[in-house]
Amino acid sequence: MSTTYQIVVCGGIVPDPLQSLEPVTGPAGPALKNEMMLPSVLDPWAWHALFEAADLAQRHPGSKVWLVSMSPKAKLQQVMMGLAQKAPFELVVVDGPSSGFADAGETASALAGAIQGIPGLDTSQLLLFGGWQSASRGTGAVLQMIGEILGIDEQFQGVDKLTVDDSGGLEILERIEGGAWQKSCCAGAPAVLGWATGELPEPPNNPQIGMQNMRAIMPALQQAKPAALAGDGLSYESVESPKQRRETRVETDMDADAIADEIAAWLKA
Amino acid sequence: MITPDSAMPEIERQKMPVDIACVGFGPATGGFLHTLQQGLMYPDGTPVAESKVMPGMPPQVICYERADDLGFGVSGVVTEGRAIRESIPDLDLAEIPLAAEVTSEKVAYLLDPIGASRRSGLLKVADTLIKPFTKKHAFTLPWIPPFLRKEPGMVFSIGQFCQWVGQRVTADGTIQVWPGTPVREALIDDDQVKGVRLIDQGVDAKGQPAAGFMPGMDIEAALTVVGDGPFGAVGRQLDEHFGMPEGHHSRDWAVGMKFVIDLPESCELEPGTVLHTMGYPEPEIFGFFYVFPDRVASCGIFVPSWFETPTRTAYRYLQHWLMHPWIWQHVEGGSLRSWGAKSIAESGRKGEPHLVGDGYARIGEGSGGTNVLRNSGVDEAWATGSQLGEAVLELLKAGKPFTRENLDATYVRRRRESWLEQESLKAENARNGFQKGFVRGIIGTALAGMTGGRLHLGGEIKKPSEHVPTLEDYYRGRVSAEEIAEIRKACEAKGAGLHDALMDKVGWPEIPLDGKLLVSQQDALLIGGKVQAPPGYADHVTFHDTTICETCEERICIEACSGQAITMNPEGGTPLFEREKCVHCGACLWNCSHTDPANPERGNVNFQASTGGFHSAEN
Amino acid sequence: MDTKVLWIGFTDDSGAFAKSALEALTAARTIADGLGGELVAGIIGGAAETALTQIGGTSPASVRTVTGEAFSTPRYKTDAAAAEQIAKAAEAGIVVAAAGSRFSRIAAGLAQRLGGAVDTQVTGITAEGGSLKVARWFYRQRMIGTIERTTRPWVLSIAPGSFAACEEGAVEATPLEAATDTRTTSLGIEAGTSGAQTIRPDADILLVAGAGWTKKQADGEVHADVASELILDFVETNRASLGSSKSMVDLASEGQAVLPFLTHLHQIGQTGSSPRHAKGLATCCHGEEPHAVGWRFINERRAINTNAACGWAQGKADVLYVADAFEVMRKVNERLK
Repeated sequence: MSTTYQIVVCGGIVPDPLQSLEPVTGPAGPALKNEMMLPSVLDPWAWHALFEAADLAQRHPGSKVWLVSMSPKAKLQQVMMGLAQKAPFELVVVDGPSSGFADAGETASALAGAIQGIPGLDTSQLLLFGGWQSASRGTGAVLQMIGEILGIDEQFQGVDKLTVDDSGGLEILERIEGGAWQKSCCAGAPAVLGWATGELPEPPNNPQIGMQNMRAIMPALQQAKPAALAGDGLSYESVESPKQRRETRVETDMDADAIADEIAAWLKA
Repeated sequence: MITPDSAMPEIERQKMPVDIACVGFGPATGGFLHTLQQGLMYPDGTPVAESKVMPGMPPQVICYERADDLGFGVSGVVTEGRAIRESIPDLDLAEIPLAAEVTSEKVAYLLDPIGASRRSGLLKVADTLIKPFTKKHAFTLPWIPPFLRKEPGMVFSIGQFCQWVGQRVTADGTIQVWPGTPVREALIDDDQVKGVRLIDQGVDAKGQPAAGFMPGMDIEAALTVVGDGPFGAVGRQLDEHFGMPEGHHSRDWAVGMKFVIDLPESCELEPGTVLHTMGYPEPEIFGFFYVFPDRVASCGIFVPSWFETPTRTAYRYLQHWLMHPWIWQHVEGGSLRSWGAKSIAESGRKGEPHLVGDGYARIGEGSGGTNVLRNSGVDEAWATGSQLGEAVLELLKAGKPFTRENLDATYVRRRRESWLEQESLKAENARNGFQKGFVRGIIGTALAGMTGGRLHLGGEIKKPSEHVPTLEDYYRGRVSAEEIAEIRKACEAKGAGLHDALMDKVGWPEIPLDGKLLVSQQDALLIGGKVQAPPGYADHVTFHDTTICETCEERICIEACSGQAITMNPEGGTPLFEREKCVHCGACLWNCSHTDPANPERGNVNFQASTGGFHSAEN
Repeated sequence: MDTKVLWIGFTDDSGAFAKSALEALTAARTIADGLGGELVAGIIGGAAETALTQIGGTSPASVRTVTGEAFSTPRYKTDAAAAEQIAKAAEAGIVVAAAGSRFSRIAAGLAQRLGGAVDTQVTGITAEGGSLKVARWFYRQRMIGTIERTTRPWVLSIAPGSFAACEEGAVEATPLEAATDTRTTSLGIEAGTSGAQTIRPDADILLVAGAGWTKKQADGEVHADVASELILDFVETNRASLGSSKSMVDLASEGQAVLPFLTHLHQIGQTGSSPRHAKGLATCCHGEEPHAVGWRFINERRAINTNAACGWAQGKADVLYVADAFEVMRKVNERLK
């Protein structure tokens, strides 16, 4: 009989990584210029994690996927319009900051609370998914801390592949140095998997999935409880874009031989 | 059996029934959905009608938008906002980023400080007479005629406005809006629209199934609301299937291209400032400059289809316009934050299609709602949507089906009785004079404006292709045919368009790119979140009859392409298209010097709905 | 306690420390000196004998080890248990280790167990007058923030290449025990790329291949085969590391006829890595800031591009050669053979 999983994917929203970003100092500390106007997306690594979760759930009938996100709910609503046609999931919302400058520990604590509040969640079947880092804070810390709070001490980071073997063992490839993967086998759930990019292509938009998802997503957004992070013990002295601009020597008229000579000499130096 | 108009081979497609399907999310659909949402439930929480497809539930309303998010790739606007304020009496502009009340308006005629623009003898005389009264090469009109005035009114980013409206209409879950989901075509069965077909996903550039193929789903709906803009695929399909009302056509167009600029500290313009220009960089090109809060401006130009040149580049002209001393004084030292381009239907009421039919209704710019005298389309689009919203609620409450007769008696009646129709009739012929040149056009517009449309200057409305002279004719006396031939040969070898070389030749100075405010056209594609195209979709720009392209000399589609996505084929023949660079402005659709042999009313370029384009909602 | 600094190092298969561990030790020493506190060390691995000869240069006041078969391979539960034991025994206010894959897997979990806070991938440290500030990058290397925390213990992982490796020397250690139970079994290492190795974090040179390699060239044709040959030839000859833009990697993963050896592991910038190398040569890359962050940490940068206005190079590279990369790279390869 196939194992069933309860897969909780944690994912915040971040500005579309292709946007130009500029830090500013706001009343509550560092922030991004025009933050509310920047188009947002689900964090790219969490995005992969969600698709892997949906794929795993599909292969293990009876499994279920939740997406747990702490984000400003108005922005999250917008992100859901681009996401909810991709894969079936139930949304759990904490209406709080998605800023990269918020503290990882406080974020983890708020998310863990939301996960513990999911009715009927069976931790013995729980796979806690998320990104191995984020495009905002990029600490790769939140998922580990949630795992600790929930008492899950089999954890994996930089995951590119998960295969369930015949005995229910989770065969996992984690990215390590030098463009290689560490292969491990974990004897079933519960486990924490921080995903890198995985191997799945972006699923197509499926209007039926979208329609079904959205019926529960909007109430979830409306019912979202606000979470204010205290930021205790953390202060920022400064946040700056790197200012140094290189004086670029632009060679427009050198012939290929001369360029090759120069590059070869530079590389050998 | 329902058969769409396309000749796609029959594939097993999933079907999803809804009650109302909307195509495109802009101000018109925003107005429709807002009105519908306000009235869909009684105060006690029960729906005004039951869903036909999901008994026990309120009507299932779904909207598909092709762009990757709501409000991507639209524009800044100044509007009186009468219809918007009527729908949202408690409208607080402070809630919407980049929105402000209009605080001042100026209209200026710009002289040519460079001497490169092509001005008629009459205009040159006028320029000489005006010169003593100019400052920074501009003559500011001492008085703005009422038909052009927008005060009291508001300036805002349509992108931000659409996002704000989108959040409101979807908040309670009764209405769903899905961006990134283009509609391929309407499902038409025996002249009745039965819903829409979404585009295929997981296909190659030619539309053939590839990895992850997912045939576009058929969304069956009792009512299809078509608000997909002036060049939407579904709107054009309906125009072709049902034909246009007698004497109506969509021949007049313009491409609006703009920059969103972070203004320099030195700029003293107040939020709500509105500047309009004419006369430069070419007399046929009009400019706008709207100041938003927080030192942001949306400014740009309109390049119309009656501008009779085959080198109809908007991008380079926009940069020359920005560098005009009257504009430059406000922007110098600023930085480019976003940019965008979009085609605008300039036919106004003459472009009005059949507004309703069995199972469908048309709203917005594609329904001929734009007022071409007042240069106003956004509020009018909202008004049409809002009128349809009221009509649909009336029909739902009465339990009546969405037939032509019922929609006619509710939606069309409301539209005909409204200010929108009255003003639209006054504007109908206001711009006819432009068919015969700038001066005649200005005089004709003024006449129509001052007399409530009773007087205007005539001019037969030509097809866009009839407005394209040969390069040799356009540059006669300035660039010889031999030189044009040389330039053509050199540009073909590089795969480049001709406009840069020709503009250089007639004296337009090189743009001093600074990487900050003045950037190359290719770099502009990377500004404000980059022009993108998700993989797995077919090329949406194709050519009806490629043999015409083989011998085409003008290749205006290449010159006019806002994203340089259509390029010269180094091997000659049909131009190349790169989907990743397309900004979905639709300019190629009407910038063609030829017509499709199968339908002489349209050009030889086909433009379908697809994903991608700008990733900025600040436009 | 608050000024005591604990450095933790993991030994590799040979029982020694990687360079990044010794760099983190320098960081730990810097912090301890700046705070006027004590530096202590902890070692986790299969065995510690070789490692103990490497860290004496920084004179740790004490060294604790957790060793044995259970700790020879990286696994969360055993590594976290070992680090927790060492940290609790050390009673340090600051815990420092290299931000390699092994410590990165447990850094935040460790902070949680210790009731502390965590900051990862730290690239700069200011420790003076008893106060400690650390610098790290936010939003994918787009902006750098300087952080101060009052929470202790404060766990810091140090980005490789940010400090010089400490001098070697021998020390003695006190062994500790840690729990060895785990449901995870290590199954070894899998090579990331098929064929020749093209990702080399320790290489001097990074070659960045942009999407231009797979675009139509002057003759109107795509020459992916020639591009592959030129790129692989360069990488192999120079023992260079290969990076690529997201668009290239995405095309490859969709099975399009591009450069078959590229995987997501090659991606730099955006959602990819920001590797550290002495020299970087970007070829056929185009894009503005979001794309160019991939070579934020490359010291000397040159670019070859047919577009003189290329945002990737202007202001970001030392030299931009406006030229056809196919032609130039062929000649460069000839010269470097």
